[in-house]
Amino acid sequence: MKTWFTPAFVMLLIILIGGELVVRIFYKADMQGRFEYGYNPTAGFVENADGTVNLIRAGGRRFWPQIFSKTRPPGTFRVMVIGDSVPRGASLATAYPAQIGGKLRASGVKAESFNLAIGGNGAARSEIILHKALDYQPSLVILHVDNGDEFEDEREFRRAEAFKGWHPRTWLMKSFFIRRLYEVTTEQIFWKLVPAEVRVLASVNDTGDKVLAGANPATRREWDARVQKYTAESVALARQRGVPILLLTESRLHADGHDGFYLDDRGLDELMRPMLGGGVYFLSMKKILQKTNFAPLFTDGTHLRPAGHEIVADAVVEKLRQTGLVSGGH
Amino acid sequence: MSFVSWQYALFLPLLALLYWQLPWRGRIFLLIAGSYFFYGMWDARFLALLLTTTVVDFFGALAIAGEKKSTAKVIGIGLLPFCWLIGCSTFYSAQPAVAKEIIFAAGVFPVAYGALYQLLWRLPPEKQRRAFLILSLCSNLSVLGFFKYFNFFAGSLETLLAKLGWHPGWTLLHIILPVGISFYTFQSISYAVDVYRGVAKPTNDFFTFAAFVSFFPQLVAGPIERRNDLLVQLEKPAKFEVADIHDGLRLILIGCFKKIYVADNCALLANYAFDSKTALNGQWALLGVLAFAFQIYGDFSGYTDIARGSARLLGIRLNRNFSFPYFATSPSDFWRRWHMTLSFWFRDYIYIPLGGNRHGALKTLRNLWIAMLLAGLWHGASWTFVIWGAYYAALLTLYHVTPGLNRLAVPEKISRGWLVAGAALMFAFTLVGWAIFRSKDMTQLTGWFAAFGNWNVSAAADWTKPGGWWLLHVVPLLLLQLATWKARDEAELSRFAWPVRGLIYTLLFLLVASSVAPDVEFIYFQF
Repeated sequence: MKTWFTPAFVMLLIILIGGELVVRIFYKADMQGRFEYGYNPTAGFVENADGTVNLIRAGGRRFWPQIFSKTRPPGTFRVMVIGDSVPRGASLATAYPAQIGGKLRASGVKAESFNLAIGGNGAARSEIILHKALDYQPSLVILHVDNGDEFEDEREFRRAEAFKGWHPRTWLMKSFFIRRLYEVTTEQIFWKLVPAEVRVLASVNDTGDKVLAGANPATRREWDARVQKYTAESVALARQRGVPILLLTESRLHADGHDGFYLDDRGLDELMRPMLGGGVYFLSMKKILQKTNFAPLFTDGTHLRPAGHEIVADAVVEKLRQTGLVSGGH
Repeated sequence: MSFVSWQYALFLPLLALLYWQLPWRGRIFLLIAGSYFFYGMWDARFLALLLTTTVVDFFGALAIAGEKKSTAKVIGIGLLPFCWLIGCSTFYSAQPAVAKEIIFAAGVFPVAYGALYQLLWRLPPEKQRRAFLILSLCSNLSVLGFFKYFNFFAGSLETLLAKLGWHPGWTLLHIILPVGISFYTFQSISYAVDVYRGVAKPTNDFFTFAAFVSFFPQLVAGPIERRNDLLVQLEKPAKFEVADIHDGLRLILIGCFKKIYVADNCALLANYAFDSKTALNGQWALLGVLAFAFQIYGDFSGYTDIARGSARLLGIRLNRNFSFPYFATSPSDFWRRWHMTLSFWFRDYIYIPLGGNRHGALKTLRNLWIAMLLAGLWHGASWTFVIWGAYYAALLTLYHVTPGLNRLAVPEKISRGWLVAGAALMFAFTLVGWAIFRSKDMTQLTGWFAAFGNWNVSAAADWTKPGGWWLLHVVPLLLLQLATWKARDEAELSRFAWPVRGLIYTLLFLLVASSVAPDVEFIYFQF
């Protein structure tokens, strides 16, 4: 009679269990909030023993890797930018959050700026990041507001909730080892080797579903209501903690049908109006860019080239001076 | 229910656990219930068709063997499809309602079949056997013809008439193709024909026969089993062996690797190359067809491995369907290695009855062409499948009549150098065949060929990085093939020491678990 467990099968089990233990022991911080798709308040923030904080890619957060002190250095103007793929930018250095810090420092202000933006993050997940960011004494939070990411926010919330449940569909991914491997495959191989055209055709990122949902006026109204609700909560939170907040509304580029283009804020500017005042400031990307030859500043209908980021950074710095949040320098 | 779903991951072990606790009769009932549940997860209404095939061939085969059943029994069992449809209409509110005409037809079926059954018994004994065989063939082929080919032939005829200036203006029917219909009807046909030829005995047990027709591991995409392979195993209680469980799990793991890791990831590239609205360049046309070659192989052979593994968990052995097809040295060698149970079906029930190679070169070629055209059409109701069949018939003809090439048909008799050259040439021919197979219509097919006239790199998305993606998913498969080559079985790893086997299992499991591609339906379900 043969035994139930062959040595080869036992070896497979040992490797899998060993891998799971290694990941759980040595990569604990990296796996923080792994199954919460950005709905974990601390995922991606690693507080070190030396008093610094690392921003890392973990737990549904794809922060640009950055490091800052847990306590704001005395006399330093600390800016934290929270938002979606637009402020995140194609690179950390060229995106407007980094450019704001650079411009402030160049004008003699002792300043530091951090990019806490994550592609696909809508208002709800931005609010969760804000909760944690406020622990690090920002002098100003810039909340980049858009109403085009609510589909992802809702989808990821459902995923996060599903992972808390018993459903067999999620059993395999509850292993930290498998999940880590899956994410490495996704981020290091799939996204790098498979072109966007191929991914879009395979609907890997739900593009079709999102476009379909967005075409429904009722759904768009629901998304606007979500944006208003969560942004209002963020504003209230910042006020409560005494941190000034700048609401920067996103704008999209559209063809006008006559070989020209126009900018569309999709009602966001109007949506933000009731929240202003009392430490809450406002900038409209539409109004900033309208003063320029804006079409070449976009890589697509949404995302900006470095030159576009620079114009936004200039406008933010100008706003900070006008409002007296920063002074001195040139 | 798909083999690569969480539902199946629960269904199979639960069924296997229960199966081994039951006596033989209980196992048969469990297999029927499990198989009908498995199939019903797609569309429970079509189980009425499966039941109809089962009833017709059960009584038909017995009659061919000279065994008469009472009219009451024939009509009583013949009522099962009708009862099933009534049940569907009553309880399955989520599915589209069953049309009244269909329910009426199912109600008429037992009476009409019972009457015909009695009528055929009045024929002279020498004509009876043939008449019952014809009844079985007609009922199976008419079901297949209606559900799979009606719209194709009606549409083609309408197009032809329109070209002649006559516009009949008839509307095509909205027919859903039942999953796996080509597989179970062919299996049922082989049963009736084998009984007619006297090479197999009919079973007297309706339930065992129902388990044979509906056996879930091979119900929707084969392997197409024969009475003497599968039914004999169901007729007696399988003996529990731990080795069967080991083999079953190994086959399932390898099958999941082929399907989830190889096929679904290659599908990303193949779909882009064939379905994208962007014009292709030569590089993408080549990459696309290479990706499809490994997608369809991984998809179908992976399905077969999971089917064999699932059956093995129940102590039942299914036939192999693949034997390193991309190492074939000639078209005839390819068909001995690709979808073997279908190839052997066409050989035994079409090619040989037509005369095979017994009546000279010309008739041999005629028989080859008939068999290959039908094999092409079996795959789908589309002219591209007919062309695909004709393409293989032409290749077989070419290899048959060309001195030198015809020697490649017997790989055992050629040197290693010729073996490699023959395999490379045949693989190139196979790729052209897959381009025909994958194309939805003639426009897509001509577009694929036209792409080879355009080697402008910037004409389509960058192909170099996707090329790396393709290699990443094909190389492990080829390594697995090399590892199993000596054993002549694509899933046989026993020649390796256990530490090597353990590493292979671990690697396969991790590749499957971390695979990125979204779920893709098994290709052969549509046939």
